[in-house]
Amino acid sequence: MAMVKNIVGIVSCSGEDLPEGTISRIATRIVLEKLRPDETATICLPLLLAGSEDERAFARVFPTIAVDGCDKRCAEVGVKKYSGKPVATIVVSEIVKKHPRLKVKSRDNLSDEEKELANIIAETISKKVDEVLGRKSKAV
Amino acid sequence: MDKPLGSVARACAFKVVENLKPEDSVLVCIPPLVAGVNPHSEWIRKYPIITIDGCPERCATKIVAKNGGKIRGRVFIPQSVQKHGLKPKSSADIGLDGEKLAEKIADETAVLINKILRK
Repeated sequence: MAMVKNIVGIVSCSGEDLPEGTISRIATRIVLEKLRPDETATICLPLLLAGSEDERAFARVFPTIAVDGCDKRCAEVGVKKYSGKPVATIVVSEIVKKHPRLKVKSRDNLSDEEKELANIIAETISKKVDEVLGRKSKAV
Repeated sequence: MDKPLGSVARACAFKVVENLKPEDSVLVCIPPLVAGVNPHSEWIRKYPIITIDGCPERCATKIVAKNGGKIRGRVFIPQSVQKHGLKPKSSADIGLDGEKLAEKIADETAVLINKILRK
């Protein structure tokens, strides 16, 4: 099936297990609502996994980026299993390691440091969206 | 991901496992169940499960059932919204009413846990 390249699907880790999961959700929302609202759409991971043909078809037709909280990479595994390989995977725990001064602790309410990390991840996702769409990155 | 009631479901689950019933409950992340990652897959087959669903798609219930989990209780957030008359603000920020709603549902879930464990 041919991919339609005018919008990018983002599948985020649902994030109940680790703080990095919560950060992946918040970062995804920042991209969808503020940074790339016209170029992105979200795909609900639990819905895709539970059997929604709409979510699965979307990820088959449009290029999709998986945003995973940890190296279990459930979003990537889920998309691959039901819709084909995502065009990119961003693993939050790997990016967190590059910013040791920012501590990640809460699964619920994000601290200022965790919010800063969410913004860093959101910028990473946005750059990947531009790359997938073959555009130069906008300033974020 | 994009529904305020999904965020209420998460907030409620965190309140139960972190504040109300830390000794008697663990939070099972949904995606690892489909990816077949342990210990999550083992837990749902070994222990009684309460599912908390944020929308009528009821993904938590479907995925746990499909993967052989023993569901002993179900919480359906849209029903709780009607019962308590409290509506969350948005998915990113559930607001004060959303927090109150999550607290009320967490209390009810804790009672459900006591019933299941016969406490």
